[in-house]
Amino acid sequence: MNSVFLIAKKEILIALRQKVIRALAIVIMVLLSVALYAGYVAYDQQKEVIENARKEKREEWLTQGDKHPHIAAHYGTFIFKPKTILSLFDFGLDTFTGTSVYLEAHYQHEFMFRPAQDHSSMIRFGELSAALVLQILVPLLLIFLAFPAFTKERESGTLKLLISQGVSCTTIVWGKIVAYLSILISILAPFFVIAFVLSTMLANSQTIPDIAIRVVLLVIIYVVYLLIFVAFSVWISMRSSTSKNSLLTLLTCWILFMIIIPKTTANFGESMYPLPSMKIYREAIQKDIKNGLDGKASTSFRQNQLKKEYLQRYTVDSIHKLPLNFEGVRMQAGEDYGNKVYDVHWARLKKIFDNQNRIASLSSFITPYLAIRNLSMGLTATDLYTSIHFQKKTEKYRRELVRKMNNDMAQNSRYGEFYEYKAGKNLWNSIKEFEYTTMSAYEIVSLYKTELISLCCWAVLIFSLLGYSSRKIRPVYE
Amino acid sequence: MNKVILLLIRYEWISFVRNTFQLLMLGCTFLLGLYAIYYGQSEIEVQRETIQDVKDIEEHEFHQYQASFKEELGSEGKKNQIASDPSYAWHRHGYHAVLHPHDYAALAIGQCDLHPYYYRLTGMSLHYQLFENEIANPVKLYVGNFDLSFVLIYLFPLLIIAFTYSLYAGEKETGILPLLHIQSISIRKILIVRLGFYFCLITGLALFISIIGLVSSGNIFAPENRLATLFWIVGVIIYCAFWFAVLFCIVSFKMNSSFTAISAAGVWLLFLIVIPAVLNVLMSSQYPLNSTSLAEITRRTSLENEEDENEAKEVIHEFLDHNPHLKGSDTLIHNNTLAKAYAALTSLKDMHSKEDVDHYVGQVYKRNQWAAGLHWINPAVNMQGIFVHIAKTDLNTYHQFHSSIESFHRAISDFYFKKLFWDKPIQLEDYSSLPSFKMKTNEVKWKTHILWSMTKVGITMVFFFAVGFINIEKQKK
Repeated sequence: MNSVFLIAKKEILIALRQKVIRALAIVIMVLLSVALYAGYVAYDQQKEVIENARKEKREEWLTQGDKHPHIAAHYGTFIFKPKTILSLFDFGLDTFTGTSVYLEAHYQHEFMFRPAQDHSSMIRFGELSAALVLQILVPLLLIFLAFPAFTKERESGTLKLLISQGVSCTTIVWGKIVAYLSILISILAPFFVIAFVLSTMLANSQTIPDIAIRVVLLVIIYVVYLLIFVAFSVWISMRSSTSKNSLLTLLTCWILFMIIIPKTTANFGESMYPLPSMKIYREAIQKDIKNGLDGKASTSFRQNQLKKEYLQRYTVDSIHKLPLNFEGVRMQAGEDYGNKVYDVHWARLKKIFDNQNRIASLSSFITPYLAIRNLSMGLTATDLYTSIHFQKKTEKYRRELVRKMNNDMAQNSRYGEFYEYKAGKNLWNSIKEFEYTTMSAYEIVSLYKTELISLCCWAVLIFSLLGYSSRKIRPVYE
Repeated sequence: MNKVILLLIRYEWISFVRNTFQLLMLGCTFLLGLYAIYYGQSEIEVQRETIQDVKDIEEHEFHQYQASFKEELGSEGKKNQIASDPSYAWHRHGYHAVLHPHDYAALAIGQCDLHPYYYRLTGMSLHYQLFENEIANPVKLYVGNFDLSFVLIYLFPLLIIAFTYSLYAGEKETGILPLLHIQSISIRKILIVRLGFYFCLITGLALFISIIGLVSSGNIFAPENRLATLFWIVGVIIYCAFWFAVLFCIVSFKMNSSFTAISAAGVWLLFLIVIPAVLNVLMSSQYPLNSTSLAEITRRTSLENEEDENEAKEVIHEFLDHNPHLKGSDTLIHNNTLAKAYAALTSLKDMHSKEDVDHYVGQVYKRNQWAAGLHWINPAVNMQGIFVHIAKTDLNTYHQFHSSIESFHRAISDFYFKKLFWDKPIQLEDYSSLPSFKMKTNEVKWKTHILWSMTKVGITMVFFFAVGFINIEKQKK
């Protein structure tokens, strides 16, 4: 054990003497600070904007004046996607998902205003977030640090000396890994401390539950991820004949892992499972509403059925004699049917998304970057699952709102009358304000099983390779 | 050409041909280039198919309206009402404003997967119809497209690094450097000749892939493509030259090969990831945009008191004050008041919200201008900007599209409102003079933007080359 630390100490000393490593460490720290600061500024700005907009829209809804409930259902309201506190660490898909949605009767509006639409094509180069630094830049630092781990010892002949002194290869490997990890931890420790402090301070955030668990999980997965890179770099160095080769191999892997594979797999996913266009998607929904999902029960047929059913239920011969306004019942039935059709089409669309993203998930077995990227987005609630979860909640809220308006109309107004009946503040107040809480940490983690497994597989694979190779190592490469 | 130079080139060629790893790299890049072209074309093909579908739907709709004039009244009564009664037609007849992708959009997809490329417009409030997004997988949007511009911007610099990082250090480490020193030709010249050789080789490959892409995506001799083709080719040459200049500059510091490779990878990282990523967050925090203010204008609004005829008339009067050409005799207001009031209301709403929208678009313009001002230190983004500008998949094109849509929407409203406010039915003949969409473009601005951006890359290239040129003689190692 002692020799592990001795080797580690020597390695740290060498690293500290290298200007380039010192410079890179400073760059990483500066970038992390800038990223976290910018993330916080963006979070703070957005939080305020969204909070104000939320209050304003609620006020508008409550003070819309007396009007017919159906007009109120069309007047509707807006919901804005709240930013979660953890998004300051990982922006995830927030730039590419819509930020607000208009809720009204009969129609499921799509989310509007994707922030990326207000950027030039520069946005496609990525945004600086702490996650980007940790996922992409820190592995590169590790590569620069660890590429000569073995090759240099071999080139300068010290490897032979070490082994002849009775130091086992495994000890050297662990010495190196401990050294690089200590350097890494000393660079990142301040940020982890900040993360912990923030998480305890903000533990009772309303939007996102289990912040402490999420932060702990984030720290664990990032440590595992970076450990994989340290071990991988040491392994490549062990297997390479010269430092130059080791560096080139590692850089090539980095490019493949971070740039080429994620892009090609996403593109491949889209080519394999193409998405419909909005217009075609909407047309199909409208067609199914008009002709019925089975193509047999058209709108008028369904309405006649409903009329018959109500006349029978109340044993009357005219809808005028019903104790409620049939128009309200009809509207709600139409709404329900529209929702049913929408759900069928939305499920199909979601299936395509899932299929596309499954390819990326599975590709995390080819590159650990995809595993960490998806897990990190998931835990910070900036991923697609959270976005879809939020969308579902808003749709549920819309349905509830419209249902209440239609029921009120059915209960309180008379058939054939429209302008004669007006609802007021009591009805508007009966609609509770929309509140959103993301999925729990457990729920979200269970959606990313593939990524978790792949991360573990990577760790096991790399360490087995290290173990295997260190038994087979030759102090002189011929 | 000098004999020594010819000799150098010959031996460089031999060592290149014998290096299977280098050949493999070129081969892989070539294949990736072909895949990128294929991918881009399939993406744009999907857009073209959608545009065709959308147009077919529109054609079918209008064909039905026209046919309803010839049908017997009765069963087709309602259809004819939609076709001929302006109080229905103005908000039921849907026209499509379509932004046809440029032939070369397949090579630089740019922002065209992020912005809708067609809109169905009726006479209803423009802003109610303008903010719907196209279906897209956000993960895919986040990851971006593997198109030819990506291969050129991201992968070619890596190829250049891989081929040239050891041009000096390699000689030193293999012990050939002292032999070179005793030659009549200077080390600087040797380096430049060797860099020139690889420049021709790699730029040649980039041009070859580009030409395959350009030829397979459209007719390069068509008048609308000729200039774009030329710009693309010049762009590829300048960008490759820029990276060779950067490498020349790095090599001129005469560091060992690992250190040169680290520095080159660092510069690549700086230009392709760090600078753009930092600028993106700086831009968002310096010029924050608040889209919540725009949300309100997408709301479907109605008259406060629909049954109050006076309120309806007031709205109509206010509208007619802004549109005197629609004013008829006062008695016209008494007919069909509610329909007119609704038309007036949506039109007035657009007028009132125009200021907000313009302000928002102005802010977007301002923040992107700020970023464009920093293109000097941001050559990769600048080059990507040039490619998407050539292929007309840039943000500006979408802003132009939106302003063209505004005019088109005005033409649609005018067409129906003239009938509505003058109580005239729409007749079959009117269907031959329906409003049609025209995309406004500004070719002069397009050209100057591209030329100016290329000049920026060119100047940065000259700067790096000059530093390398001077530095190589100064460094005594």
